[in-house]
Amino acid sequence: MLGRRGSLRFLAAPPFVWLTLLFILPLLMAIAISFRPHVGPISFVTGWDLSLLQYKKVVDSPSWLRLLGISIGMAFVIAAVATVLAFPIAYFLAFRARARAPIFLVLLLVPSATSFLLRVMAWKLLLGSNGAINSFLIWIGLIREPIGLLLYSQAAVIITLIYVWIPFAALPIYAALQRIDRSHLEAAADLGSGPWTRFYRVTVPLSFPGLVATFVMVFIPTIGEYVTPVLVGGTKGIMYGNLIQDFFTRAGNWPLGSALAVVMLGVTLLLVVVALRIVDLRRVVA
Amino acid sequence: MPAQFRTARRCLALLAASAIVLAACAAPNKLLVLEWSGYEKPDFWTDFKTASPDTAVSFEFGISDADILAKMEGGSQADIFHFYTGWQQFYVDEGMVKEIDTSKLTNWDKVPDSFKKLGQVNGKQYYLPWDWGFTSILYNTDKVQGEITSWDALLDPKYAGHISMWDDGPAAVTVSAYIHGWDETKITDDQLAQIEAEWKAQKPLNLHYWTGEYDDLCPEVESGDIWVAYDWQGCYATVLYDGSQPVAYANPKEGRNSWVGLYGISSKTANYDLALKFLDDKLATLSCSNAVTQFYYGCANQDVMAAVDDPVLIKAFSLDDPSILEHTNFTPPVTAAQRDAWTEMWSRVKSE
Amino acid sequence: MLVLLYLPIVLLAVFSLNNGTTLTFPLKGFTLTWYQAMVGDQALLGAARNSLVVATAAATAATALGFAVSQAVLRFRFTGRRLLLGLAGAPLVVPFVVLGVALFLLFTALGIPRSLLTIAAGHSVVALPYATLILLARMVGLDPALEEAAMDLGATYPVTLRRVIIPLLGPSLLSAWLTCFIVSFDEVALANFLAGGDPTFPVFLYGQLRFAQRLPVLIAMAVVLMIGTIILTLIANRLRSRD
Repeated sequence: MLGRRGSLRFLAAPPFVWLTLLFILPLLMAIAISFRPHVGPISFVTGWDLSLLQYKKVVDSPSWLRLLGISIGMAFVIAAVATVLAFPIAYFLAFRARARAPIFLVLLLVPSATSFLLRVMAWKLLLGSNGAINSFLIWIGLIREPIGLLLYSQAAVIITLIYVWIPFAALPIYAALQRIDRSHLEAAADLGSGPWTRFYRVTVPLSFPGLVATFVMVFIPTIGEYVTPVLVGGTKGIMYGNLIQDFFTRAGNWPLGSALAVVMLGVTLLLVVVALRIVDLRRVVA
Repeated sequence: MPAQFRTARRCLALLAASAIVLAACAAPNKLLVLEWSGYEKPDFWTDFKTASPDTAVSFEFGISDADILAKMEGGSQADIFHFYTGWQQFYVDEGMVKEIDTSKLTNWDKVPDSFKKLGQVNGKQYYLPWDWGFTSILYNTDKVQGEITSWDALLDPKYAGHISMWDDGPAAVTVSAYIHGWDETKITDDQLAQIEAEWKAQKPLNLHYWTGEYDDLCPEVESGDIWVAYDWQGCYATVLYDGSQPVAYANPKEGRNSWVGLYGISSKTANYDLALKFLDDKLATLSCSNAVTQFYYGCANQDVMAAVDDPVLIKAFSLDDPSILEHTNFTPPVTAAQRDAWTEMWSRVKSE
Repeated sequence: MLVLLYLPIVLLAVFSLNNGTTLTFPLKGFTLTWYQAMVGDQALLGAARNSLVVATAAATAATALGFAVSQAVLRFRFTGRRLLLGLAGAPLVVPFVVLGVALFLLFTALGIPRSLLTIAAGHSVVALPYATLILLARMVGLDPALEEAAMDLGATYPVTLRRVIIPLLGPSLLSAWLTCFIVSFDEVALANFLAGGDPTFPVFLYGQLRFAQRLPVLIAMAVVLMIGTIILTLIANRLRSRD
């Protein structure tokens, strides 16, 4: 028989243990390995002559830290633009679509249900010099020679990722807009405010927490993105996540890769703390 | 009843014991090969497949020599691993490789001595050479004026936006060492700093760095987007065959690079004899010639190479130039310190 | 803008029915070749099957754990309550590449070979915040008096759980499960580091994408999976809005 204390233990223990083993422990492991000076077999038993060598390398390589800055900047732009562009879609769905809302919801789900990688790939095929855009324009006779590569640039990475995130960003905003009590808008209308005033004095402030949550949900994963840059970024669209990936899958230097990952983790958490300072999370959750 | 019960128990015990014995004896007929992607194609080990149809061969993939080494260090269960010249010493030093018992190989006498020697460390035959080829510059003769005669074409701003370098630090160091006439095995810190600066300056000239010869290099050579590329001869032969672009494969004055792919047998393997058989069969005529005719990579069976009569392949392997190997440079062994310094240098170049 | 949202997908669908290996105009005529090839492609089907297995396992673990977190946090006052809630949400703020390499190092150090199981373990962690958020939102709206009444009438907590709480939460549990399933099914950044020789569909796709001649078959598979995912998502949504 489980008492109340027993029930609590029965509920709280599994997630605590699970997250300790599969979330906290691996992160601690990565932190520990980032202090190991040597490349070579990784074991719990040997190789624990700790040093700051890897971090010294990070500090001595300004281009790595600069790339982290660039990646954060890119993630900021991507998250901001995706959130802003997703807003009208969600707004339309919540306030204008009415009876047809379920159909529009399906339409919105189509892109998010398509494989992430293939949507990235679709842009590569669209933008390439033999791609669909160029071959289509040549076929209808508008151009003779393919227009120069739109692919393989920072801009290609940013455009592709914005595209990939928009449908995903629209859903939480849609949920936030749905929760807005229509009587607030009616009250504002009764008090004589026009549609625009209602929009930016009532709708936007009330959906703001949802917008912030959406921004963060796009921003964090984008900082660590490494798949899209490989496919459409070329040499100029590389992101910080690619460096980490390189040291693990290409250069086989796990201690240095770990140090770079720890630096990214630290900076990301710092940004989250700052964001929480600026926006009261309790309002977002409530 | 007790007697019957005892019999039943004895039967059960016997059954359990035989199950354990069976499990232990029936050494699973399985081989795991740590490979570069593309080599898993059954045509490249067809002789083994035919001779041992009940053996399940599976593959794990690495994307660079450093990656293959790291995967072995990380406790890969692979019985066999595949890497290239330059990386022989590490596996021996770290006790990860078993010696090749050449007396059990039926195809060993078909391997040229110079290749056998590349598979030796400390005087012992640790590796079996299999594929080989060149590294040089593949270029589009429509877009490039005149002949390319030096490795420095890869760093020439004339071809801005249409160059593609392989995404690999040690390869970049090798190219720079050739250009400057430096000894690859004795690159100083100052020289490495200069190499880093030069490749940083070269970075914007690339369309992109390529990672797989047939994946993201060749399609864009065929489409005409890449004019000048660091290339093994595989893409060169491909484009010669399909005629999509007019191309040439340079003979730089510093010499081409040559490489040999080596197979090692893991010291952890429980199937040494099976692994050895797999490697021996890879040297057999059909498997080897499939590598030559389908993948356009050379093979260590010299009878197979001597029988090549396809003009494209003769051109691709420069088989019409008997002195070609004399003016190419084999990749010398790298040390752990060089390996780390060079991959870190490349990472700084990429992030520039 | 909406055109831009759909153009790439429409193109993918069109080219999956086009009789040519390259994705260029003009179209070469209608064919079902790629769908036929897909049905015969063992590696591709195997990868899709692996994804189903991984996503099912990950979603089940994440939903069960998310349920435990939300129950513990809402129905009990205890030290570590805020810690538990914070911990359950924390995977949302760690970039996948960081968690991916960290789990990779852990499994390597422990000598655990990478497999579908390691991918599922990783996915259960990143899906947990979604399950927790969905279930919390629903549980906040549930009247605790129902459970208390059951307990007062002598039901033990497990009985209350089985007879009262789970039936009340049923649709939300399913909706949380489906959301976690979809998160896991399309995830590649983490899975890349945790996959052994047996890839999930996105990992397989990532490895094959650069072989141009393979594309039409891959796209055909993706179109089939897309339709499946949409149906699942619609069910999830229907269930959520019914509560």
